[in-house]
Amino acid sequence: MSYQSLFYGTLFLPAVFVLYTLTKQAYRKYVLLGASWLFYFLAMHRVTWVLVATCVGVYGAALWIDRASGRQRTFRLTCAIALLAGALIRVKYAGWIADGIGMLAGHQFSVRALVVPLGISYYTLEAIGYLCEVYWQHQAADRDFVRVALFLSFFPQIMEGPIARYQDSAASLCAGQPITGQSLRNGCLRMLWGFFKKMAGADRLSLLVTVIFSQPHRFHGWAALLGSAAYVAQLYLEFSGMIDVTMGTAEVLQIHLPENFRQPFFSRSASEFWRRWHITLGTWLKTYVFFPVSTSHLVVNGNRQARKKYGRQTAKVWTSFLALTPVWLFNGFWHGAKWHYIFYGLYYLVILMLEVILEPAKKRFYSRTGFSPDRGLFSILRWLRTLAIIVAGEVIFRADTVTTAFTMIGNVFRGPSHVHALLAASHLDFSDGFVVVLCLILVTVVDVCREKGVHLFAWFDRQPTAVRWALSYSLIFALICFGAYGAGYRKVDMIYAKF
Amino acid sequence: MEEKIIKMLEENDDSIDYANETHLIDDGLLDSFGVIALVADFEDAFDVEIGTADLVPENFNSVQAIAALIRKRA
Repeated sequence: MSYQSLFYGTLFLPAVFVLYTLTKQAYRKYVLLGASWLFYFLAMHRVTWVLVATCVGVYGAALWIDRASGRQRTFRLTCAIALLAGALIRVKYAGWIADGIGMLAGHQFSVRALVVPLGISYYTLEAIGYLCEVYWQHQAADRDFVRVALFLSFFPQIMEGPIARYQDSAASLCAGQPITGQSLRNGCLRMLWGFFKKMAGADRLSLLVTVIFSQPHRFHGWAALLGSAAYVAQLYLEFSGMIDVTMGTAEVLQIHLPENFRQPFFSRSASEFWRRWHITLGTWLKTYVFFPVSTSHLVVNGNRQARKKYGRQTAKVWTSFLALTPVWLFNGFWHGAKWHYIFYGLYYLVILMLEVILEPAKKRFYSRTGFSPDRGLFSILRWLRTLAIIVAGEVIFRADTVTTAFTMIGNVFRGPSHVHALLAASHLDFSDGFVVVLCLILVTVVDVCREKGVHLFAWFDRQPTAVRWALSYSLIFALICFGAYGAGYRKVDMIYAKF
Repeated sequence: MEEKIIKMLEENDDSIDYANETHLIDDGLLDSFGVIALVADFEDAFDVEIGTADLVPENFNSVQAIAALIRKRA
């Protein structure tokens, strides 16, 4: 079962909302936990025990850590993280690691492939985050098992995140707030908007993207650029769309979850892009990898010595390199056990290091010339440069191998273009193109409004009832008419659910 | 102490009114690289040890919050 299935949308979710409403406030958390584990069971069957065991283990581990102090506390945290990471490595990376070791040793090792539990990459990070917060005493170990279990298993969140911090979402998950007319309206509207982005835009673009990435040598010039840009658009529409579905579901139940996107294509630098794209993964990496590495004795002492010997800027570059390397290796590796994901992480490491290295020169340039980096020509140039970085990065991310990615990036600068051949091979006709362009225009308008601080839901709420109904029905009909389903289309799985 | 902290912050970026700013982290005026560089400066200048657990926005959003953190760790 997934969020796009008819069963989920027409039976499962409405049934949860009805049961939730009929239950007393104090018991609503049991409804949500029961629904979450049922959802998981319907999707993963027997493997559900892994999720349940993780909930029990994390609940116990947090109490175990909280009872200790000093080195004992650190030892307990290390054990708990090792167990969680070990389970993730076993199911996701064991085969890849065995192949690597086998290649080095000149001997083939075989590792039994296991079913990868749905959402393991997401709930493992949430679990590690919770244990670290307990260890740092930012959060007491929770004695309410249901709250811990619901934090890790909440069904709208389990497939693609967002990766929440315990203190940000656990309390509201268990608050049992009622479903109100406003929460139902706004939540459903956000879900519809998310489905529209996924089914009208992303699923159509996937036809074009599949063609170009399955024949990386065939298309050049504008066709190669169009295919690469189409993948970036597909990824954004699908990932942000499904996050909208998650946030909308949570909004109906008046549950607070952190936002995962903040208009990423308005970024003027790669570092800004990562503060706006997959925000919760970035926040997790900053909090639980970047900061601990940066404040470790090794890095702090290295920083101190580098400052004395070579000055502040060199020390900053050195510290940044030491702290960012594990962050970006982790980011790449988290997406899967493939070299192109690791290369994707290293690609951003190099770009962010260049930003750190060139920062003083850029400051000098802008102060001497009087140009503003945030206005006029330089702002546009920085924006275009960032778009180019994003597109090249996503080609590395999507291509099967690093070599294929380089071939495709190189093809952009080679001719001749065969845009018509690409469109013909994708089986996209004029009406498909029209719907995709319409979807992209609408998404751009919504993102511009958000960037300018216009709250569309607040605006929607201020409209007369007739206008609100008209808009809601327009979105429903747009989804029915423009959704890429039925004859000529195939079901497109959620991209980030496979991570 | 607050004046010394402001001077150190200004070495990082002198375009901000640190004395009155209360959302240095929340408004993105101070990023994670800035925090890390400052932690090393504060540790040397005030002879304190600032750990990972201290690196939360509440401790770096204003000069007063930074001063409170340093006093706590002194």
